[in-house]
Amino acid sequence: MARPLDVLLLDDEPIVGRRLKPALDKIGCRVEVFENPREAVARIDEKEFDVVVTDIRMEGMDGIQVLEHVQKRWPRTKVVLITGYAKMDLAREAMGKGVFDFIAKPFRPDDLRRIIVRAAEALGVLMDPSALANDPVDD
Amino acid sequence: MSIIMISSDVPEMENRIAEGVAEEKGYDRLDRRILADAALRYGTRPERLNEALESAPSLFRRLALRRWRYALACIQAEVLDRMLADNLVCWGLAAHLYVNGVSHAMKIRVLSGKEADAKTAEQMGVPLHKSERWRAASSKRRKEWTMAAFQEEEADPSRYDLVIRLDQIDPVEAVRTIVGASEYRKFQSMTYSTKCLTDLALAAKVHVALSESMTDVRVQARDGSVVVSTRVPNRQKRKKVAAIKQVAGRVHGVSYVEVHAQKGFFKRTG
Repeated sequence: MARPLDVLLLDDEPIVGRRLKPALDKIGCRVEVFENPREAVARIDEKEFDVVVTDIRMEGMDGIQVLEHVQKRWPRTKVVLITGYAKMDLAREAMGKGVFDFIAKPFRPDDLRRIIVRAAEALGVLMDPSALANDPVDD
Repeated sequence: MSIIMISSDVPEMENRIAEGVAEEKGYDRLDRRILADAALRYGTRPERLNEALESAPSLFRRLALRRWRYALACIQAEVLDRMLADNLVCWGLAAHLYVNGVSHAMKIRVLSGKEADAKTAEQMGVPLHKSERWRAASSKRRKEWTMAAFQEEEADPSRYDLVIRLDQIDPVEAVRTIVGASEYRKFQSMTYSTKCLTDLALAAKVHVALSESMTDVRVQARDGSVVVSTRVPNRQKRKKVAAIKQVAGRVHGVSYVEVHAQKGFFKRTG
């Protein structure tokens, strides 16, 4: 039976959440947006999300630390890292630590949607096919 | 899913190790057998492409130099395009010198060691010291070629993810070591690395299209947007910029072309 995918989106730039939340809502995700990593981690401690999408460079806590925290707390959760400072070494480090995917900014919302759909498949979560069918190719 | 690029100081050993890894992993092979297809695609001869990988013309032979650069551009475009398929072992095409920044593309250097000299001496029926001299000369020629073609120091170990010495690890173990390392998560593909490779492939396609009629162009690509840098005297600038935009704009996958034209000539023309 289809169910919404629970996604936590963490980025200290407000525009990222404003842009991506509606894009993920469209494909049947239930999205909670955070700009403060400590608040996001507190929420992660309360609830098991299917997917956590997090920026890497943030004040107070970086995305790799968030990844490690999620892995300890909820090993099943898929973590996706996004960054405006993508480099090969960082990408390899992130993959080595078990990140599900790694994407460089700027990216199109459709790029993230594809990753989310793959994460859902990997988790065995059946997403609402009608929501996916309405998914525009690009926006 | 990964790409494994293998290079060695001895071509026969490079071939042997690469074939062993491809066999063990069930990966496709990307080696000089693709040159026939590349030649057909770009309207040149396979021998020219093969020769381009072996030697560089003198800097004073301008036409030969231009043809050589074009041949290298064809090879790069063909290799990068095929690498998009993933899960392959690549050797013999100098890919380790121009496939940079792609996290799921592993670079392996295999060093043959002193035994290779002894074997060569036996095969050629010459004394060991002659074989050693021949190999040193061959290494020197290779170094000159890599510097001329890509301004890269091929023997620099820091450009590789793994360096294996065959005088310490035998070829069978070397294959196992490479296969094992290629399983590491950090060498698997991800959205970022796939995009890096896609951008490199597009830039190479644009570069070869431009190289048919012009020199001194460098191309970078990102998400279909292409930036072409060139050096041209002021009086030819407008014409050249227009020509670049027209040629580059026709390449499949290009959505936008920006040209940066400066006076003078590039020091590096790779």
